[in-house]
Amino acid sequence: MGNPTYLASDAKLPYCRGCGHALVVRQLSHALEGLNLPPRSLVLTTDIGCVGLADSLFPYLHTVHTTHGRSTAMAIGMALAEAVLPAAALKPVVMIGDGGAMIGLLHLAHAAQLNVDITVLVHNNFLFGMTGGQHSAFTPLDWITSTTPGGNFIPPLDLLKLLRTAHAGFLARQFATDSNLGGVIADAIAYPGFSLVEILETCTGYGTLRNKATGTPLREAASRQGYLIGRMEEEQQRPTFGALYHQEMQSPPAAKAAPQAIELSVRSDLGNPLHIVIAGTAGERVQSSAALLCRAALSVGLYSTQKNDNPVTQGSGFSLSEICLSPQPIEYTGMESVDVVIGVSQEGWNELQANGTLAKITPKTLVLLDAELEITPPTGRVLRHHFRREATPKRAALAAIAFWLGMEPAVPNAAWDAVLASLPVARREDVSTALRVGSNLASQGGVCAA
Amino acid sequence: MVAEGALAAGCRFFAGYPITPASEIYEVMMRELVAQGGLALSAPDEISSLCYCVGASLRGLKAMTATSGPGWALMIETVQYALMTETPVVIALVQRLGPSTGGATQGAQGDIFLAEFSTSGGYTIPVFAPSNAAECYELTQQAFNWSERLRSPVVLLTDKEVGMTTEVVDDAALAKLSPVERSWADAKAPFAAYDIERAEEVPGFAPVGGGVKVTVTGSAHDRRGRLRKVSPEVVEMLIHLQRKIDAHAAEMALARPDLDPDASCLLVSYGITARAAREAVGVLRKEGFPISFLQIQTLFPVPAEALHWATAGVRTVFVAEENLTGQYRTVLAPLLAGKRLLGINKVGSMISPDEIIRAIRRAGGTIPRGDWPAEHGPDEMGRPIRKAGM
Repeated sequence: MGNPTYLASDAKLPYCRGCGHALVVRQLSHALEGLNLPPRSLVLTTDIGCVGLADSLFPYLHTVHTTHGRSTAMAIGMALAEAVLPAAALKPVVMIGDGGAMIGLLHLAHAAQLNVDITVLVHNNFLFGMTGGQHSAFTPLDWITSTTPGGNFIPPLDLLKLLRTAHAGFLARQFATDSNLGGVIADAIAYPGFSLVEILETCTGYGTLRNKATGTPLREAASRQGYLIGRMEEEQQRPTFGALYHQEMQSPPAAKAAPQAIELSVRSDLGNPLHIVIAGTAGERVQSSAALLCRAALSVGLYSTQKNDNPVTQGSGFSLSEICLSPQPIEYTGMESVDVVIGVSQEGWNELQANGTLAKITPKTLVLLDAELEITPPTGRVLRHHFRREATPKRAALAAIAFWLGMEPAVPNAAWDAVLASLPVARREDVSTALRVGSNLASQGGVCAA
Repeated sequence: MVAEGALAAGCRFFAGYPITPASEIYEVMMRELVAQGGLALSAPDEISSLCYCVGASLRGLKAMTATSGPGWALMIETVQYALMTETPVVIALVQRLGPSTGGATQGAQGDIFLAEFSTSGGYTIPVFAPSNAAECYELTQQAFNWSERLRSPVVLLTDKEVGMTTEVVDDAALAKLSPVERSWADAKAPFAAYDIERAEEVPGFAPVGGGVKVTVTGSAHDRRGRLRKVSPEVVEMLIHLQRKIDAHAAEMALARPDLDPDASCLLVSYGITARAAREAVGVLRKEGFPISFLQIQTLFPVPAEALHWATAGVRTVFVAEENLTGQYRTVLAPLLAGKRLLGINKVGSMISPDEIIRAIRRAGGTIPRGDWPAEHGPDEMGRPIRKAGM
């Protein structure tokens, strides 16, 4: 059985006379014949531009013609899928021009970094041919194009050097006229992992209009730019993304445990929804304490919503949680007025002022403040205690919650048993200490009303 | 719950890029999808995220990404590619305050137009809008099922208030749908990628890398997927892209009506604002005012039939949504000729039930039928004559 054919034998190449693209498609076909790959194991992923005309020339290969610059990204997606498909073996060969390399540079960098098994052929003719000869990021210095009428004065990119720093394994640069181009392309396709061949070629439609862009002058231009010709020496072959993924999947992350039914041995007798705001400082477990309260409420049959807020930096400044507890499913998750405000740090309180929460405090609102804070709330039933000092700053929010529930048992004490039982053993001691301090303070009284 | 819904629907590929308020979906998928043997990975930008998903879907995997307005803006190129190439993919778009980077941690419903009207040619992209965690679970499955069935990009449109609020969900009451698989083409040769007899048919799918040669292009193409200049066949293909959606519009259009036969006004809402609207309706009814309510879950295609029934006998329609100009109201306006159409709009924070009630009262919406003051004529421009909380 002979080798499969790739380029249609009667293919009429749609390129201008002398265009380098014609040489590349022939060399690609030779390369594939040499490799003797099943045609259906290849997908040509082509970009916008004359380079995209290649699809129709390879009647036996899968072809995907994409939007400009994205052929590399689509090929990455196809190659990534390889990792989860059973018994798959598809090699994307990406055909882009220098324009596609420019607009899709990030895709090339990421493909190299991931080391996905794709081969990219960059048809670098130093300008945009299909759209009328505009310059690209790869246009040599002094070249005259329709958009550099006075000569290009921006130095061109060196794609190989760029991609080497992105850990690309196989990188090569050849002229389209090189007799060994087919062999280099074959090596690139056979290479396991990301490979790229930059092919320097001539756009006879626009490149040669006002520039010496063929033969020796072309080689000299490449040399002036310090372009390496041939294969760039590889530092160290890396495993492909697929290999790394399969290695990772030898011990995959544990799936989340299936939901457990919650026994409602005790039920809350809460009649109406309650809105609670807890304000403190980032890193002092404000939001996680609020989450524990919601969990406790859940274990006694209450519905809850919790919203958190903090500065964009997340690790500093205020930290807020806004909670609604309700005996009914909660529709509107905002609040017109607040029932309980817990302030355990100045930063948190300042934010309540800034975000309008203080305006929602009514005379009925219970305001629990750390006694260190020199704050005068606008109204409300104000109680102060040394939560930070007695329980430590990191336990202050939870202690204040326990204090409140000690006074107004919206969530019965038994709820916390279920919460503690659901926590990792290492965390239980910490949580139960905070709860104990808070409820002790509540039972001792000793609260100084403002 | 979006991530949970995606897993339940059979999602096997996820590519993401961090953005508030959609990062939670990304993080959960990075952990849970991988734990289930799928592939989730970080892309270097949103353009790449969706391209990776489309590439994976071309190979037959159910794929999803999640983003917010600024990321969606970058994805529009590839959304159109998925539409043109008939590649299933789901995009969870968690809205935040815009324009531009707007407010990352503030909710909004300002991306209705941006989500739907982002294609050259104005094709219908199905858009589902959950209002709470349980609906996130159900509608994400719907999004996947319709995406696969119609071979189309589908948007799951939620927002910060839905996406980043932790709430109690009754696991036993969650809607678990049967996953729909795309219909695969017979492995016959020669294969035509878009081999259909009627314009509304969805062509059978053959994966890139499978046994039959597949030709895909984002350019105008013939039935075999070959790039062609405009010809009658190419035009047929372009019409087909819309017809296949239209043919399933009624089936896809989900809405939750809560109608009162004595109502003279209807309140329409969706997403997070539907929750405040439901509360407002409860309060008004307790006070003795008859009012109907329609929560729209499928924003596009518009649930025209549900709207038709909900507006029967109704004089005034209020549309409550958290954006300034009444984007969805503008969409509904042509379907509500002869009705008095009023918007309840706000930006910067959620619309409260109280604001909805006040807006309805101010506009005389609670006046019994047949007893309208003369000055309350229909607003033919469809513009809000009153805004709540502005």
